[in-house]
Amino acid sequence: MENKIKRKTRLDRRMDKIRALEESGQLKNKRVNRYFRKFKNNRLALWGVIVFAVIVVLCTFAPIFTRHDPGEIDVLNKFQPPSRDHILGTDQIGRDVYSRILYGGRISILVGLGGALGAAIIGASLGCYVVYKGRRLDNIVMRFSEIMMSFPQIVLVLLLVTVMGQSLNNLLLIFILTGWGGVYRMARSKILSIREEEYIQALEAFGLSNFVIVFKHMLPNVLGPIAVNITLSTAMFVLQEAALSFLGLGVPLQIPTWGNILNVARNVAILRNNWWMWLPVGLVISVFVLSINFIGDGIRDSVDPTQQG
Amino acid sequence: MNSDVVVSVKNIKIFFYTDQRCNKAVNGVSFDIKKGKTLCIVGESGCGKSVTALSIMRLLPELSRIEEGEIIFNSEDGPVAIQELTKNGKAMRKIRGSEIAMVFQDPMTSLNPVFTVGFQIMENLLNHNNMSKREARKETIGLLKKMGISLPEERIDEYPHQYSGGMRQRAMIAMAMSCNPKVLIADEPTTSLDVTIQAQIFELMDRLKKEYETAIVLITHDMGVVAELADDIAVMYMGNIIESGTLKEVLSNPAHPYTKALLESIPVLGKGKNQKLEPIRGTTPDPFNRPKGCQFEPRCDYAYEKCKDMPADELLGGEHVVKCWKSQEVLKDAKK
Amino acid sequence: MLVYTLRRILILIPMLLFITFLVYTGIELMPGDAIDYIASPEAIANLAPGALEALRESLGLNDPFIFRYFRWLGNIFKGDFGYSLSSGLPISVIVYDRLPATLELAIAALILSSLFGSILGVISALKRGSILDYALSVVGMIGVSIPQFFFGLVAIVLFALKLGWLPYAGRTLPGYVSFFDRLPHLILPSLVLAFTMTAGVMRYSRTSMLDSMNKDFIKTARSKGLPEWRVNLIHGLRVAMTPVVVLIGFRLPSLISGAVVIETVFHWPGMGSEFIQAVRSQNTPLVMMISFFSVTAVLAASVVVDVITALLDPRVRLD
Repeated sequence: MENKIKRKTRLDRRMDKIRALEESGQLKNKRVNRYFRKFKNNRLALWGVIVFAVIVVLCTFAPIFTRHDPGEIDVLNKFQPPSRDHILGTDQIGRDVYSRILYGGRISILVGLGGALGAAIIGASLGCYVVYKGRRLDNIVMRFSEIMMSFPQIVLVLLLVTVMGQSLNNLLLIFILTGWGGVYRMARSKILSIREEEYIQALEAFGLSNFVIVFKHMLPNVLGPIAVNITLSTAMFVLQEAALSFLGLGVPLQIPTWGNILNVARNVAILRNNWWMWLPVGLVISVFVLSINFIGDGIRDSVDPTQQG
Repeated sequence: MNSDVVVSVKNIKIFFYTDQRCNKAVNGVSFDIKKGKTLCIVGESGCGKSVTALSIMRLLPELSRIEEGEIIFNSEDGPVAIQELTKNGKAMRKIRGSEIAMVFQDPMTSLNPVFTVGFQIMENLLNHNNMSKREARKETIGLLKKMGISLPEERIDEYPHQYSGGMRQRAMIAMAMSCNPKVLIADEPTTSLDVTIQAQIFELMDRLKKEYETAIVLITHDMGVVAELADDIAVMYMGNIIESGTLKEVLSNPAHPYTKALLESIPVLGKGKNQKLEPIRGTTPDPFNRPKGCQFEPRCDYAYEKCKDMPADELLGGEHVVKCWKSQEVLKDAKK
Repeated sequence: MLVYTLRRILILIPMLLFITFLVYTGIELMPGDAIDYIASPEAIANLAPGALEALRESLGLNDPFIFRYFRWLGNIFKGDFGYSLSSGLPISVIVYDRLPATLELAIAALILSSLFGSILGVISALKRGSILDYALSVVGMIGVSIPQFFFGLVAIVLFALKLGWLPYAGRTLPGYVSFFDRLPHLILPSLVLAFTMTAGVMRYSRTSMLDSMNKDFIKTARSKGLPEWRVNLIHGLRVAMTPVVVLIGFRLPSLISGAVVIETVFHWPGMGSEFIQAVRSQNTPLVMMISFFSVTAVLAASVVVDVITALLDPRVRLD
């Protein structure tokens, strides 16, 4: 015999509340409700923006936030744990760790953001151009990008480092070279799908040239996904630079970057005994990338809303 | 109590909760589903007919519920109050697929693309009966043949995307009829099919009804189909049944302005190109911003102050029930 | 099915050939004498001074580029991958020596991340909005934000140095005979490598499962009176898995990238750490060859992924 007593679940009670409100005349609040929910979702994105901004400001205006010189060697005070003078202690040749993190951030962020932007500009323009030029070129470039994307990222990057040599500029260039493929494919597929839409046919019927159609009418529609892609690429490049510099194969060791600082952790003794020399840097990288991912998620939510309930 | 009534729906109310709002999609609907007869529920999109059908099977989406009312299923073991059963509980699941079955609108998306058609039909058989796989397979081949699918021994192992549209819907019907249910609910089964295939599907359903005495609930917006197949008809508008009765009663003597307007807006084959077609003025109201009282009032030519109160059900004779203060006037006008 | 597989393999061949062409061009363009790469060091060391030119001639090093390319290609098929510039060992020996270690690590990580990722993602989807779902998504976000090598360092400090539960370096110690002896060494590197990929797979499988459960055929399955577990697992999960398999295929290159770094952090004697060594010592031919192998591995794996996808989803076989 079925249990005839209906227990009120939490969902039931919430529905009762809504029904009571509705019946008492909560009428035209639809607009308020939409925005309310969007804001709540974007709280994470908001947090991401704040943290991101804080880190960028701290690193860009490093001289204001630390009085130490990141290159200042003070061998007498090496391996100092955190103290009032050195907030995060000193490294193996007496340099102040905190200031190295701040100054190092400049390079890491530059490489990450610069690489992502460069790859986006090249990838997107190439995508537009190729679509407007026609199938032949499209096929060739597609195949080429497919081949490039079959290489594991690090392998391709290190291959190019071997060929081109190790330097900051080269690294930036290499990141752009390895990154354009993803943006290209995304821009291309979005534009191809837009091309099927009827308003494009209308534009063509009006006699507008292909060039104008592609760059003036289609391109703005691709900007949303491209923005998401830029944020995600920045995160990826920051992580890659860190890994490469950690291995000593990224930015040359003289220029401090977050990855370079972590290079010391390859030494088990330092790993075990001098946590301040590597743990804070790693955390900073993680938090920075996390904030970027939150921002990317927030952008993606506003570009493509599929909320339920 | 009429022993031919298989399912009795009494004053059912179904509310939807989305965007922190409450939508009274179905607001007090009653009808009986009779053995061996076809009940057509007619109405525009959004009037609540699909929701009503889903509620009988307790297949409503998560953010909705049956607020009030009863759905009584007269099974062999006595009356069962469907609205009180646990939504996906054992008792309800026993009823689904074997006593009450449903055919959905789009057979392409309603069938699982990664399993063969035979697997999906056999699944229903094996779930409700104590038969072996081999027996189920034999039964399925028989079913496919009965539904008019040629070469059933091969077709049984094919996938939905290998079937044509009409065949897919036949397969869905085969699946629904596999356990010989007392009620078959068909929610706009031919809307996504060609007109010629439509005729075949309906002819099939009619045949099944006569052979197995299945009660059929046909949901549609096509009055032509209604005229062909219905024994009883219920006209829905914005969550209420505004008129119901036998086919003859309603079509010959429409007593509600909406029904009357519907009939006048449909072109009739053979009447010639000069026949008068009167579209219904206005549009259906926003479900979150409904008019007070009778929902049809803003678009109604007969509207007056009393329409601000929801009309009561009025029995006009036989089984003819209507929800309108001005029903007598409408009847008189229609006779002209 | 067989035709589908063959067609997939056939499409890859032109691409592979083109890549071999690029690889060989790269090797050719690098500074240094090609003979150090083509001939074994012993052969060169035992030569009289004038005989070097004769050897060069006999190896065809003075022939036109195209001939040299095809000869090199032929050697590849015979298993002769040339010689490492720094150690003088035949590259095939290096591969034979190092490949099993990398395969062990990569396959362990692949299995762990695929299983955990999909299972956790499906659970998240079925319990959408619950605390578990929220917690998992937070962990997932962290998983894709932490640098893999940093996570490895933290794991080493925590589990190996501070707690002493697991060894922190190397793959094996003298005296180890069976796989189970070596298992403790495998645990930390494979878990660390799997972590990032698990986060990505988990996220994607959650979305895929939610999509799948929203489809019409789920309603049909319920209308047949099937129990919820069957609706979720047999109907919902089956359909949801196909995109996840495709995603895992997509992520294979990054798994290999991760392996390269993790091998270095944990001193794991595989192809990855060998690759890093080669880059450090400017050992171009070895760098090129290992790159080539990694691409081949990715392409071969993508064929396997395509076949699995076709098995899961019959609609794909029409392609």
